[in-house]
Amino acid sequence: MNKLLLTALVLGLAGCSLFSSKVEANANITGSVESRCIVNTDTPGVYGNPNAYTLTTTPASGGQKPIVRFDVSLANAYYAQVSYPTSFSSSPSLSDTVAWTGAVAVSQSSGSDFDGYQTASTTTGALRQYAMAHAGTLWVDVQSEATYGGGQQKAFPGGNYTAVVVAECVAQ
Amino acid sequence: MCRSVILWVLLCTSVAAHEMTPTYPKWSVTQIEGVHKTTMRMFNKREDVKYYEIGVFDKEWQPIPFVTDYKILKLDYLSHVKFDVYISSKNVGRAEYICSLSKLRGSKETKTMIASKICSRFK
Repeated sequence: MNKLLLTALVLGLAGCSLFSSKVEANANITGSVESRCIVNTDTPGVYGNPNAYTLTTTPASGGQKPIVRFDVSLANAYYAQVSYPTSFSSSPSLSDTVAWTGAVAVSQSSGSDFDGYQTASTTTGALRQYAMAHAGTLWVDVQSEATYGGGQQKAFPGGNYTAVVVAECVAQ
Repeated sequence: MCRSVILWVLLCTSVAAHEMTPTYPKWSVTQIEGVHKTTMRMFNKREDVKYYEIGVFDKEWQPIPFVTDYKILKLDYLSHVKFDVYISSKNVGRAEYICSLSKLRGSKETKTMIASKICSRFK
């Protein structure tokens, strides 16, 4: 009788250990599918210097327009907002004024749903806002130009100039 | 169907991206009286960015005091982080947005840099 009980106990423990080792071997991978907006910095911009007093991202002047991509997974959940620069974040010492101009425009999208987005967008100063009424992807490029000398066409001092484009996803 | 596939491919192949969820967080009570908290998640797929600044704002984009482990979070490339934001219960009704803003390094080139910002909203 004792032998029978002992055998059952041993078999039970062995079964438990097999079971527990199986549980420990599991590696969980968790994830979620939910509303989200992703800001992608697809292309960094470059300023061209077509003349002494202008820095511009226009490709014809040796510049490169920065391109931002917004991926939105749920319709009517986010505003995509992009602002062109209105100051340098780093530059040589500048004694005269810099005049800034810029433009933000849709360059590409993932479907025809986005066709009217540029027309429907709104602006506040340097910021342009797109109401993301559809799930999908929107590419936005930014034109930026800085002119030195307050209309006197003075030459920019030599050195490196950096300006910041702000790309935002704001929940509606 | 085709559009969904394209969107998924795009979402999975982002080159340099900044992501924060949930879109609509909720405040929950804590064990400390007068303090509420919410939990956010972030993912950094921007190789050029290692730090993100967290902010809580009201409807007029005025800052609201809050507490986190770090106001500027270090988030390595391809890393996820889950962080708690604590706020005084008296400000729960005022808090409208919680945002993360990429912190950019200085550059020695003549170029434009892109700062990314994502704001979730309390509804």
